[in-house]
Amino acid sequence: MLSKKTSNTIAGIAFLSPNILGFLAFTTIPLIFSMILAFSNWDLTLHNMFHDDTIQFVGLKNFIQLFRERDFWKFLGNTLFLMMGAPFAIAGSLIAAILLNKDLKGKKSGIFRIILPGAILFVSCVMLTLVGMGAAALTIVIVGAVGMTLISGILFGQTVYRTLFYLPNFTSGVAVYILWKKLYSPQTGPVNAILEKPVAAVGNIVNATPSWVISAGEWLFLIIGLFILMKVLKSLFNHWKDGDLGTCGLGLSLVFAMMPFFFAILWAPSAAAKFAVPAIATAILVFHLARSLRTRDFPCTTWHGVGTGFMISMISLVPMFMLIGFAAAIANLPVLSADGLQPPEWLSNYDWAKPAIMIMGLWGAIGSNNMLLYLAGLSNVPPELEEAADIDGASPFQKFWNVTWPQLAPITFFIVVMSVIGGLQGGFEMARTMTQGGPWGSTTTLSYFIYNEGFATGRLGYSSAISWVLFIMVFSITMINWKFGSKYVND
Amino acid sequence: MSMTEKSDTTTRDSAMNVSKGRTFQKEVMGISLLHILLAGMSLMFMLPFLWMLLTSLKTLAEVGLPEWMPASFQWGNYLEVFNVIPFAKFYWNSILIASWVTFLQVFTSSLAAFSFSRLNWPGRDKVFLMYLATMMLPGLVMMIPNYQIMISLGWVDSFIGLIVPASFSAFGTFMMRQFMMTIPTSLDEAAEIDGANKWQLYWDVILPLAKPGLLTLTIFTFMGNYQSFFWPLVMLKSIDKYTLPVGLLFFDSTRGQTTHLLMAGVTMSVLPMVIVFIIMQKQMVKGIQMGAVKG
Repeated sequence: MLSKKTSNTIAGIAFLSPNILGFLAFTTIPLIFSMILAFSNWDLTLHNMFHDDTIQFVGLKNFIQLFRERDFWKFLGNTLFLMMGAPFAIAGSLIAAILLNKDLKGKKSGIFRIILPGAILFVSCVMLTLVGMGAAALTIVIVGAVGMTLISGILFGQTVYRTLFYLPNFTSGVAVYILWKKLYSPQTGPVNAILEKPVAAVGNIVNATPSWVISAGEWLFLIIGLFILMKVLKSLFNHWKDGDLGTCGLGLSLVFAMMPFFFAILWAPSAAAKFAVPAIATAILVFHLARSLRTRDFPCTTWHGVGTGFMISMISLVPMFMLIGFAAAIANLPVLSADGLQPPEWLSNYDWAKPAIMIMGLWGAIGSNNMLLYLAGLSNVPPELEEAADIDGASPFQKFWNVTWPQLAPITFFIVVMSVIGGLQGGFEMARTMTQGGPWGSTTTLSYFIYNEGFATGRLGYSSAISWVLFIMVFSITMINWKFGSKYVND
Repeated sequence: MSMTEKSDTTTRDSAMNVSKGRTFQKEVMGISLLHILLAGMSLMFMLPFLWMLLTSLKTLAEVGLPEWMPASFQWGNYLEVFNVIPFAKFYWNSILIASWVTFLQVFTSSLAAFSFSRLNWPGRDKVFLMYLATMMLPGLVMMIPNYQIMISLGWVDSFIGLIVPASFSAFGTFMMRQFMMTIPTSLDEAAEIDGANKWQLYWDVILPLAKPGLLTLTIFTFMGNYQSFFWPLVMLKSIDKYTLPVGLLFFDSTRGQTTHLLMAGVTMSVLPMVIVFIIMQKQMVKGIQMGAVKG
């Protein structure tokens, strides 16, 4: 008779064995194999049945070559550029969740159910008259679809809208990417057909505006951006002074917060802005630094509060990038619209391919798992807190910022980390189905690069080396998550 | 005195009524606006699908026109797809492979999860941590070696090469373990007193109780594999073995100009997912909110 412990061990291993055997065969062994490959020069054009050169170990040669290759940095840049869509998507998910979490039925649901359909029917009728009833079958289809959505939304509440929001995310895959490729088609796609007239009108307006108005507009956006930066830095330094944020956390957050304004060197429209904007940003930083250094009241450990700082700067990234983008767009408008402004060629244009993919990503990512996580998070916010804020006379924005948002912080941290991990590895399916990584490599992400080297070019060793670089990046993000995430989540 | 008191109360009452009426109006207005806003947002999300549907019903000549509506609905396009490419074959391949993977993955995951959550053996938690750590590995790292393994096993361009490597999932194990941890351990003791062995405990006690978790894992695994793209893309060489995603890519690259047929194909491959989601959404939403889905 076996002892209980031994029998438990035997049973435990027996139950685990099917999974662990597969795990060894298709995860552990390939992992080791891949690590060895990364240090070898295995290349299918050199080592095949016609050339029987032996595969050699080349040490770090693959990695050195990789870091020297300009393409690698370009593709890494592409990957990071595409990841910039993530903050927008997260903000969109949050807004969608907040809207869905609102009381959709009203407290006096009896009367409400009669009044609301009436109101909505009225709106639909107005829409119909506005567009000229019966003029286009499409209008009827669209108004009918909206009406159906409204009526089922009133009857079944949140579920209907949630389903409609979630479907783009759930169905995303090769089929939907092919659909978007057709939507973006410059000749036959509906996107440009819709954009053509408004864009041409904008072009005419721009041509009629004097150039000083244009540059004033450009600077207006840049100055708003700098103003936000000022606010963010002030808040970061205040956290640091109050002991909510450690020095390392502060440094990390500052790097993120300052990032958009150093990107401005690359993007900024006019020569003046190229130098002035980063310079002003640096001046603001130095000002806050100088002002804060002497007067720190409650020092804390260096790594304290990294999550908080990270979040503040991540959130500020969204508007700052947007504002710089607007400024650049405005500054470039006169040149573009000199002979009639036209909608972009999206996927076949070097500059527009990435934004096109980001827009598609945004469409799919707003109603995503993140929205569902936020919904769960919002329903966990204790109502007493909101009531207390109501009694104190807080405005809706204050209520959100001081009551709801702190409660959602752990979820947001998780979502941000997951988005970064996913974003680093992402982009393969879109690149493969929509653009083949082009035009001229503008949509090639690291994952497509790895695929291309491994399965098209046949440089297996090199491809493995890239995948290990990617692994190290993902791993460091995971480490940040483990080190700070759990602390932050358990708050 | 009494008069003034009365008039006082009436004015107060009417004032209250007015303010009540106002808040009520405000509430209805607010909710109506919210509904309209949400319906408008839903429309934004649905417009691409609407275009897809309408384009799939056009004729080839209408495809290039800016009008969304076809002159008349060409339902025959949907049948035409099956003649142009072996679409039925792609469908069948996808469903066959996804079903096998789902069955094997749910089975092996639940076995491993049982071991991790119900049996005490030395080093158990360390092994589990290792499993967790591998969830963070980018799949791309293992692709090339796995492909070499497939070559040496002679599994390239075969279904078994798609099914077997996908059948072992750290993520599924993790999810099932989390679920099984919520089942009270007193049941184990009761079963042990009744003389049940470990297999009976797994099969007769834990599995039936873990049904909601099993269902969620089944849906996610099935949908994930129905859409899986990378591995079938590198593994499959012969057209009649293509799965839907690879088949659609092939369709797009060979007959991309026939947008109407392509959209009919896209519609047909998206439709099962929409139906599954609408039917199963309660379980799925719960599963996602439990943190059951890979980022």
